[in-house]
Amino acid sequence: MSVTSAPSQPAFRAAHAPWIAGAALLALYAAFMGDLYGLRLLTQAGVYALLVIGYQFVFGHAGAFSLAQGAFFGLGAYVTGILGTKFGWGFLATFPLSVLLPAAFALLIAAPVLRLETHYFALATLGLAQVALIGAVNWESLTGGANGLVGVPRVTLFGARLVTGWPLLLFVWSLVAVGGLLAWRLTRGMKGLAYHTLRERPLAAASVGLDGGMLRATAFVLSAAYGGAAGALHATTLGVLSPEVFDFSIMVACLTMAVVGGRGRIAGAILGAVLLVHLPEWLRGLEQYYLIAYGAALLLVVILAPDGLAGIVDRFWRRGRGRSETLPFIPASTRGAHVGGAALHVENLAKSFGGVAALDGVNLRVAPGEIVGLIGPNGSGKSTLANLITGLYRPDRGRIRLDTTPIETLRPHEIARLGVRRTFQTAELIAGASLIDNIAVAYAATANPSLPHARSRALTVLAEAGLTSRAWEEAAAQPAGVRRLAEVARATVRGPRLLVLDEPSAGLTEDERTTLVRLLRNLASKGAAVLVIDHNVPFLSGLARRLVCLEAGRVIAEGTPGAVLADEAVRRAYLGTAEKKP
Amino acid sequence: MDALTLVQLLLNAAALGAAYALVALGFVLVINATGAVNFAHGDLVMSGGFLSVALAGALPVPGIVLLPLVAALMAILGLALSAAAYLPLRSRPPVAVFISTIAVGVMLQNSANAIFGAAPRGGPPLAGDGALSLGGLTLDRQSAAMIAAAVVLLAATQILLTHTQIGKRMRATAQDPEMARALGVRTGRMIALTFALAAALAGAAGLLLGNRYFVTPAEGGSLMLKAYIAVVIGGWGRIGGAVIGALLIALFESVVAAFLSQPIAEAVLYAVLLIVLFVRPGGILGEVEGRRA
Repeated sequence: MSVTSAPSQPAFRAAHAPWIAGAALLALYAAFMGDLYGLRLLTQAGVYALLVIGYQFVFGHAGAFSLAQGAFFGLGAYVTGILGTKFGWGFLATFPLSVLLPAAFALLIAAPVLRLETHYFALATLGLAQVALIGAVNWESLTGGANGLVGVPRVTLFGARLVTGWPLLLFVWSLVAVGGLLAWRLTRGMKGLAYHTLRERPLAAASVGLDGGMLRATAFVLSAAYGGAAGALHATTLGVLSPEVFDFSIMVACLTMAVVGGRGRIAGAILGAVLLVHLPEWLRGLEQYYLIAYGAALLLVVILAPDGLAGIVDRFWRRGRGRSETLPFIPASTRGAHVGGAALHVENLAKSFGGVAALDGVNLRVAPGEIVGLIGPNGSGKSTLANLITGLYRPDRGRIRLDTTPIETLRPHEIARLGVRRTFQTAELIAGASLIDNIAVAYAATANPSLPHARSRALTVLAEAGLTSRAWEEAAAQPAGVRRLAEVARATVRGPRLLVLDEPSAGLTEDERTTLVRLLRNLASKGAAVLVIDHNVPFLSGLARRLVCLEAGRVIAEGTPGAVLADEAVRRAYLGTAEKKP
Repeated sequence: MDALTLVQLLLNAAALGAAYALVALGFVLVINATGAVNFAHGDLVMSGGFLSVALAGALPVPGIVLLPLVAALMAILGLALSAAAYLPLRSRPPVAVFISTIAVGVMLQNSANAIFGAAPRGGPPLAGDGALSLGGLTLDRQSAAMIAAAVVLLAATQILLTHTQIGKRMRATAQDPEMARALGVRTGRMIALTFALAAALAGAAGLLLGNRYFVTPAEGGSLMLKAYIAVVIGGWGRIGGAVIGALLIALFESVVAAFLSQPIAEAVLYAVLLIVLFVRPGGILGEVEGRRA
């Protein structure tokens, strides 16, 4: 399984059992092993746990390789440090600012940074962290320079200063509990599935109406807020502060904890933090070499256990337990369904790539309830047309309207939200998720999405497609025909107003093809406009009343299947006779 | 600042740039071969620096004599790096390699720290100390030797990549691994060799830099960042671009540091980088067509 593979959705309560047991063990450990030094280490582990829980938003869920988490940590630490030492603010006053300032900063840079590709994103976030480090060392009047700040105010609660021992530990770990709970609420169920889809299949995410940019920015800002909170706790628990909080080694520690614990997992974040903070103690015999062991641990986990320790625990725990789940009975509802059909109008559409015209003045109409087949030789512009209608490309000229709404300037997820659905030439199924969740994600962009409701709807369409028995199976392991039908099911589950299918019949068995025809006819009978691109002309002729033939970016014929197939221009386009059209 | 000082400054910048160019060259070769960033690259430079410190302690010969030895030993380290941190992760997304090379970097840095301590160490001079006099201009031997050695190594790499069977195979692997495999090239081996070459160049740069700029265990990060930035300036995946980018960074750093200070020079460099990335998200010159990242 790949590093980007999913945090699996806990399918049943029992999945939490090992984690509850683990938390109890940790509490016991603290209660009985806790000399003052031991308690200090556990407190430090709590600070890191909060940092890593935050990092899981951007790294684990949004799948963005951010190297700025250490910088947010340092920023939060210095906000508390500077306000506390220079202005005498108490911790309870500085803490909210330590959370808000990094979050505000993240919000400010989210838009330009998050549109960068992986390697540039990593570099940009690393560059930001370096600037912060240089600033902390050199802006001496504010930060105390390399010497740092001493006398950072301690937490004062109910008149008691929490300097060390149990009170401080409990304070830090209650914040970890609050932070963990909040993170769990923000990423469980449908929200987690939405991030999973975005990470694995950004195109599929947009095609069900998810705004990837917004989701990623949210994750980035949340990460920063948690990082700032952890930084503030770090400063106050130590009482002193130096530019080392901006050091790359903190970022590496955070990354290591996330990867070793389990990417995207809250339990993994805590496990990773507790383990790696104690690692130096356990490896004390190695003296200064323990950091080498640290690197080796990271390397080994990346290679051998890409899902981290949390993934291992889950696999071990789930072995022998079926993943069947009884879904709550939810009466048929139209919640999240699109209403009625819509007419597609394409007028004079043109698109060139590097001076080569892919489409050159195409006109096309699909009425509500109508199924139109789009044929044409390879390279005639069929997929380009699908990508223009669904917003993946912007046209050079021409218009696309859904009923009366112009959509040619909208982004893919905005078009999807109008009730336009599509499938792709190669099915965009999410690896690491079940078939049922691949379909349930269609509801992720609705108001107040509920995973049980979405799954129960998904199960209905899976039954219509004859795939009930495979519902809980891993999507990536399915044969091509099943994958394709599942993608069609995802596109149809909410009853789209316009459906665009790119080569749906490729790789289907005869039975599956019959199922597909039935599904599409059923959809059209409810009023949806359906545009089907396919190479299989007999299949299309049986399905569509009207065919449109593209060649070299232009419509060369249009009409009933019989008329189009008899058309001289069509025959020439396909059979390639060299006669010139008179 | 008079003209003579300016020329002196530019010569020093050229010497620094020559070493940076070797660093950036190895960095971009690995990017092209693997589609991933080698975060341990700066630590390879650092390792080469400490290797030359250690060898100079054992063999009292000029650095230029040690250079082939350092490069050869570093090539072996490069092979080990590819075996540990890249080849097991070939079928994974690039981020897995980002993380594994960070892990190796941590190991290298802390090994150096454990063996040599955190204090800066001076590497051997390339060809003795002292200065060469050219007209009114004094060019110190170390700068001249740095430039000469780097030019020889850059030229040798160019010849290796374009005029030898093995270099052509390495380039084919970087350009289109599927096609190369279909033609019978053992791509895994070529990628391992690319790592070896990159590490050898990095080690050479470490030796070149060690005398004038000292070696510290923690310097890897900022060297890697400079190589990274050089590749952004030169266009992702462009070999010649990375070399030019490295020269520009050295020039920028030397000039700004001369007028202001080293930390300010570095901060301004990162700030410029961020602005460039925000304004041109595809890099200054854009990516090489069809390159996966």
